Amino acid sequence: MSATAILNAARTIGGQVQPHLSFRDLRKVYPDGVAALDGVSADVPRGQFCVVLGPSGSGKSTLLRVVNGLTSLSSGQMTLGDLPMSAANLRAIRRKVAMVHQLFNLTERASVSANVLAGAVAEVPFWRVMLGWYPAELRARACEVVARVGLDEIHLPRRAVALSGGQQQRVGIARAFLLRPEVILADEPVASLDPAISREVLGLLREAGREQGATVMCSLHQTDLAREFADRIIGMRKGRVVFDGPPHLFDARAEAALYEGLTPPAQAQPRKEALHA
Amino acid sequence: MREAELEMGGHPAKRVADWHLPAPYDWRAALAVLLIALALIWSGQRMEVGKMIGLTGEAVLASVGLQEESQVGKGLGRMFGQLFPFVIEDRRELARLPDIDRDNLPMFTRIELVEVTTFHMNAATLQAEPRVDVKEYLVHPFGYLLNVLGKMVETFEMAIWATIISVILSIPLAFFGARNYTPNRFAYSASRGIVSFLRAMPELIIAMFLVLGFGFGAIAGYLALGLHGAGFLGKFYAEDIEGADRKPQEALTALGAGKLRVLRAAVLPQVAPSYVAYTLYILDRNVRMAAVIGLVGAGGIGQELKGRYDTFEFGHVGTILLVIFLTVFVLDQVAAKLRARLIG
Ligand SMILES: Nc1ncnc2c1ncn2[C@@H]1O[C@H](COP(=O)(O)OP(=O)(O)OP(=O)(O)O)[C@@H](O)[C@H]1O
Ligand SMILES: [Mg+2]
Repeated sequence: MSATAILNAARTIGGQVQPHLSFRDLRKVYPDGVAALDGVSADVPRGQFCVVLGPSGSGKSTLLRVVNGLTSLSSGQMTLGDLPMSAANLRAIRRKVAMVHQLFNLTERASVSANVLAGAVAEVPFWRVMLGWYPAELRARACEVVARVGLDEIHLPRRAVALSGGQQQRVGIARAFLLRPEVILADEPVASLDPAISREVLGLLREAGREQGATVMCSLHQTDLAREFADRIIGMRKGRVVFDGPPHLFDARAEAALYEGLTPPAQAQPRKEALHA
Repeated sequence: MREAELEMGGHPAKRVADWHLPAPYDWRAALAVLLIALALIWSGQRMEVGKMIGLTGEAVLASVGLQEESQVGKGLGRMFGQLFPFVIEDRRELARLPDIDRDNLPMFTRIELVEVTTFHMNAATLQAEPRVDVKEYLVHPFGYLLNVLGKMVETFEMAIWATIISVILSIPLAFFGARNYTPNRFAYSASRGIVSFLRAMPELIIAMFLVLGFGFGAIAGYLALGLHGAGFLGKFYAEDIEGADRKPQEALTALGAGKLRVLRAAVLPQVAPSYVAYTLYILDRNVRMAAVIGLVGAGGIGQELKGRYDTFEFGHVGTILLVIFLTVFVLDQVAAKLRARLIG
């Protein structure tokens, strides 16, 4: 009880609900001089499905990778709950954050079940990882998430490569949800999937996130999908936030401004390279 | 100038006409090829490659009857002829086996009588006179084959233990010797140094030293092979770790997993087939090398081979070579099946 009270107290600072993720003037300059993030500030409340839009190279991936420390900041501060990102907090933050990757990032030769269980690789005892012998509750949980993402028992022993692109991304999502993370980062999770499958995968991401009260940050290239699924849209351009608001405010003018002078954004149209589920 | 307006995340725009796509090779590549060719010509003279081709050609021509005879053919032919027939029986003079009970011979054995003619000087006539002695032999019709097979089993055991030692040694060597997993540059250099050293030392030499320490027998043999094999496996394991798909590794690192956990869950499944292939190759090599290493008294079939070769018993040598060949052949088949199964 007192723990909850402390938690609630911690969440509210100065009468305001503390944001789940807070970005304060984030800057990332790569050694070659490219400023991938150029002063990004935003607060993301708990449980929000936040879509990051922007032309190619605008810094979407960089922003997402700052959250789990895959990219280190040049300056500024990222805070998850009450944990500021630092070398000391890196592991603790990473354990609360899961990521869904554009190219799925599955261990291709390993089975679906091994890939999903790998979501707990940082949490179970070392000897269990070495033997690949995960505890029974975890295996039960793995079956649960595999079922939740719409796969079947017959998929469990199959090698990840032997699945279609859409199925592989489902495995990626199952792995991310295995340990009920607080934050899900999804970097263009549907970029290599066809439109119908993209909708299913995004819907899955949003619903599963909601069920667990997880905050989702998802970068996308398809503005129509963003409008359909987002609670909030952050538009980026050249490392800066140029739009931040609910989807109904992201109208044709805002879209035109975001992509002005650039190739039109990819709509959710069939693509040649799309993988079919 | 619409292209010129295309901005890519702050990169300076450049007109397409000013782009440059280099050709796949340039004069440096051509020069390198030329230098390598020159080096090979120079080395070819030192290695008498011309003579090698000439003599081989003669031998081939002679064997198909297009030429009288050849130097190589004669030398090899004499030796080759003596390998046949393979000796598979075990034959011992009965007089030297005091414990044999004639009425109750060991299984499969029989006694053969052989007339031996010797010449003796007759003191009276000062003439050499033939004298016929009958010698009795205890013959086991396939005793020698059994003996060789027993030695082969021993050799195979040596190869197995050598492989186990190689694998155990090369796991830490691979971890420290993989650029993306080594804890620091020093550990990396040390590991790579050890791996090169182990590979550079011929197993025959290592075995000779180890025989001094561990005495004649199998221990020196499989230790030597194990150390040498670790030089191979340490290198190949490490290079596969470096070359493994980075994406799943990044995914698990992002979850907060440490290096060893990432290696186990994201790298090992990817490299397992090639690890199995390398390890089976080392096993195969150890079987063959275990035969050679016996030459310095390090146990196994090699010791037998050396003994028979030194006493010009080429029929026995032939049997040994045949058994080694058959073992390697069978092992190859088994390894191929195993590999297909693990990779499929
Ligand atoms: N490791 C790196 N080294 C140097 N520059 C980098 C690196 N990673 C990204 N960049 C640069 O940072 C900028 C932002 O990249 P980022 O990947 O965040 O863009 P993005 O919005 O995700 O683009 P896309 O939609 O194409 O995925 C780009 O100009 C990119 O070239
Ligand atoms: Mg990106």
